[in-house]
Amino acid sequence: MWFFQWLENTSWARFADDNLKVATAFEITHYFSMFLLVGSIIVVDLRLMGLIGRRRTIGEVSAEFFPLMWIGMVLNFFSGFVMFAGDATTFAPNWVFHIKLSVICLAVIFGVIVQFQARKWGQDESTQIPAWGKGLALISLLLWVGSILAAVEVPSLTNVG
Amino acid sequence: MIVPSEGVVDFCNWLQNTPYALAIAGSTWAYPFVQTTHFTGLSIWLATSLVVDFRLLGWIGKSYKPSELAKSLFAWNWIGFAIAVVGGASLFSTDAVAFSRNPALQFKLLLFFPLALIVHIFVQRRTMKSWGAGDVIPRFAQLAGLMEFLLWLSVASAAANIPYFERFL
Repeated sequence: MWFFQWLENTSWARFADDNLKVATAFEITHYFSMFLLVGSIIVVDLRLMGLIGRRRTIGEVSAEFFPLMWIGMVLNFFSGFVMFAGDATTFAPNWVFHIKLSVICLAVIFGVIVQFQARKWGQDESTQIPAWGKGLALISLLLWVGSILAAVEVPSLTNVG
Repeated sequence: MIVPSEGVVDFCNWLQNTPYALAIAGSTWAYPFVQTTHFTGLSIWLATSLVVDFRLLGWIGKSYKPSELAKSLFAWNWIGFAIAVVGGASLFSTDAVAFSRNPALQFKLLLFFPLALIVHIFVQRRTMKSWGAGDVIPRFAQLAGLMEFLLWLSVASAAANIPYFERFL
């Protein structure tokens, strides 16, 4: 726990948490980047499942959305970490927050697998997506929606955040 | 803050006492589920809108034309919008009277959101028809793309401020 106490009392964490305008700016960045991140991966997942833009190849769709996904991910994790640091001792022992982080970790792992596979399948236009590939996309989609659900459950179930 | 008229307050009062609104507000799980629906719709809506704006600005994927991009994403763009609106209206209904007096929500719904939507429809139509078809993207199209991006950022900023004002109402 000493680490979280130290983290919470660092000058930058206090500055970001105590200053209303700065805290709001990080919150806006966190939400906006989450929309970019989740929206981008959902579009690629839907394309892999064959539910969206079949006239465009998987290679094209992933080339359009993966840069957006990575920009969203970097901004989201950075802003999320700063927001966490300001209240580290409250968030660290919170069980719903643990679930949120676990779901996000799984979602990122599946997101990276989807990106790797989409590049592979996208190289050849005639490639048919196997059933397990569609299943992979469905799991990725559910995990990202689940990460939003877990995030909104933190204040709802535990009054934290 | 705009003080809502008596008619608006009466409507909001009726809305927040409908069985649907009471069921969401009174359940531990329903409210987060509706919030998740709203955020998922917003994610699809914003990602499919901003990817076109960023393409117009030349920030991403120069190997394909913006018109093709806008056409291929058109349906899911509006599906995301519909999900976000249904989720947002459901969230609003749970505490409609307080929300109608919230200055941040007023800014979001009465100023930034209509402006962003008008600019979005304009950018989407023009991109599908003329702006995105040629090899060179007009300077005005880039400006419109940037404007749309900034307007959605304003909508998100106003939305992020809603809970801060809730405490004072």
